[in-house]
Amino acid sequence: MAKLSKLAKIYLVLVFAILYAPIFYLIFYSFNSGGTMSSFEGFTWEHYGAVFNDTRLLIILMNTVIIALLSSLISTAVGVLGAIGIVFLRNRKTRKTVLSLNTILIVSPDVIIGASFLILFTMIGVKLGFASVLISHIAFSIPIVVIMVLPKLQEMSSSLIDAATDLGASKRDILTRVIIPYIKPGIFAGFFLALTYSLDDFAVTFFVTGNGFSTLSIEIYSMARAGITLTINALSALIFVVTLGLVLGYYFFNQRAGQSPGTGGAKT
Amino acid sequence: MKEIIRATIAIVIVSAILLYTVNVLEKSSAIFGGGTISVYNWGEYIDPELIDQFEEETNISVVYETFDSNESMMTKIEQGGTTYDVAVPSEYAIEKMKENNLLQPIDHDLIPNLQNIDPYFLDLPFDPGNEYSVPYFWGTVGIAFNPTLLEGQTFESWDDLWDPTLQQEVILVDSAREVIGMGLNSLGYSLNSTDMDELREATDKLKTLGPNVKAIIGDEIVEMMRREEAAVALTWSGQAADMMWINEDIDYSVPEEGSNLWFDNMIIPKTADNVEGAHAFINFMLDPEVAAQNADYVGYSTPNEQAITLMDPEVTRDERFYPPEELRERLEVYENLGLEMLGTYNELFLEFKMDMEN
Repeated sequence: MAKLSKLAKIYLVLVFAILYAPIFYLIFYSFNSGGTMSSFEGFTWEHYGAVFNDTRLLIILMNTVIIALLSSLISTAVGVLGAIGIVFLRNRKTRKTVLSLNTILIVSPDVIIGASFLILFTMIGVKLGFASVLISHIAFSIPIVVIMVLPKLQEMSSSLIDAATDLGASKRDILTRVIIPYIKPGIFAGFFLALTYSLDDFAVTFFVTGNGFSTLSIEIYSMARAGITLTINALSALIFVVTLGLVLGYYFFNQRAGQSPGTGGAKT
Repeated sequence: MKEIIRATIAIVIVSAILLYTVNVLEKSSAIFGGGTISVYNWGEYIDPELIDQFEEETNISVVYETFDSNESMMTKIEQGGTTYDVAVPSEYAIEKMKENNLLQPIDHDLIPNLQNIDPYFLDLPFDPGNEYSVPYFWGTVGIAFNPTLLEGQTFESWDDLWDPTLQQEVILVDSAREVIGMGLNSLGYSLNSTDMDELREATDKLKTLGPNVKAIIGDEIVEMMRREEAAVALTWSGQAADMMWINEDIDYSVPEEGSNLWFDNMIIPKTADNVEGAHAFINFMLDPEVAAQNADYVGYSTPNEQAITLMDPEVTRDERFYPPEELRERLEVYENLGLEMLGTYNELFLEFKMDMEN
């Protein structure tokens, strides 16, 4: 790629500045001893202390993480198998239909999905809480995983499977030793996307939480009426730092693993 | 494949550890034998210490959850699947929930502390005899203003908002009943008017306020007033108290033509699990010391007569937040006008907003 022109560089810097400014603004005020976001009075760690003293907030935070991890794990498992199933569907028409159905789920508004789940759960008598939130998060993550895994599967040459069969691989071997290693980058991408979707989902969760179970997005939204306290700033800052650490760690790990096949290295 | 299995195991282990920690935390905050109640309240509307105190005193552990609007709370309760034991809706929502048969009658024998409540706040039209609800907080709608940005103006009357010197200085709260209600009040009509002629006249008068209006927004009002980006705002007394807490220059007044008086009351939904625990909680919240501490923390006005005697007199003698009886007589509580009339209010409000854009 040719070197960026000066104008392009300035543009790039500007875009990133706009993207990151709100986050840094938020983090900056998390150290404010003044108690509000209106004026900076002095440096303090007190809001960070408040995060760790607020058991309710910690429980909500952990609930959010548990739901995200479990729902993306399960939806990845289901989604990968689903994608494999779709690719190996013989009939083109059926395959197209199934794929369209999958896409419809992705583009349909969260509010509709949430409301339908609420109606479903109350109709069949599922108590709203951990289980209902987990199930709905799994449900809206599966189509995303399918979409992330499919291109990898389609890219895979069928001669790979033929060769494996010729060499005497059983169906199980083909799945675990040929297909899954090949589509691994897609699986991880799907997992991480599902994870972020689950972490920041508000609309669906809003409908299906209840009985004392709450996630961070719901809690922060409820607080907005009376004014969000700086404790939330501190919490957001912590989450940002942890995410940053994870991303950096991931890159570091990937670099060290070198060009080992299928870890998401550049294809061309 | 190995990598995927390892990642899966890692995730499962992390989730298991987190689940365990949540359990431990929940137990350590709830090592009580008296069962559990779940309370559904507005965000930031209780002193968290009081929940701990209630748990210690009664051995009942509290699951506390928050909502942001009467409507979302009602949907949750109406749909079922939840077992909230206590919720805190506003008066018009209580009326609606009563109509929809979502409430349980309150056993007054289990709430001896009801006697602490100022009789003025009992037996109101939206719940005669307090059969279904018990007062939690109350307040008014009025004008918050910043005298340092104005030339000694005061807002004794709604008409003061129409002052030509206030160009682009007035913020309105984005709520049909409050704004149309202000129009009605300024003409001396009732807040609950269903007379089309009166409503039309009020809307036409509001349109002439156009040049003075800077914005029609929601909770951002507090922040804007704090930063002195605007000088005047039509708002609720609680929001005004929030502003004053940060910016001492701000003042609040309830115009003499009258205004809205609102209540948030505690109710027990029909779907409640632990009705006895719910009564215990309601009774606890009405305890004078508890109510006083809560009012100190939240900043809204308490209906608890005994609590007021325990509070800082500087606060409770503040007529802006504890208006004296003469003023209260001019205040009106919103009545449930029915779906159709509410639609008319919303339409007129929209008409006013659209007119502003020209």
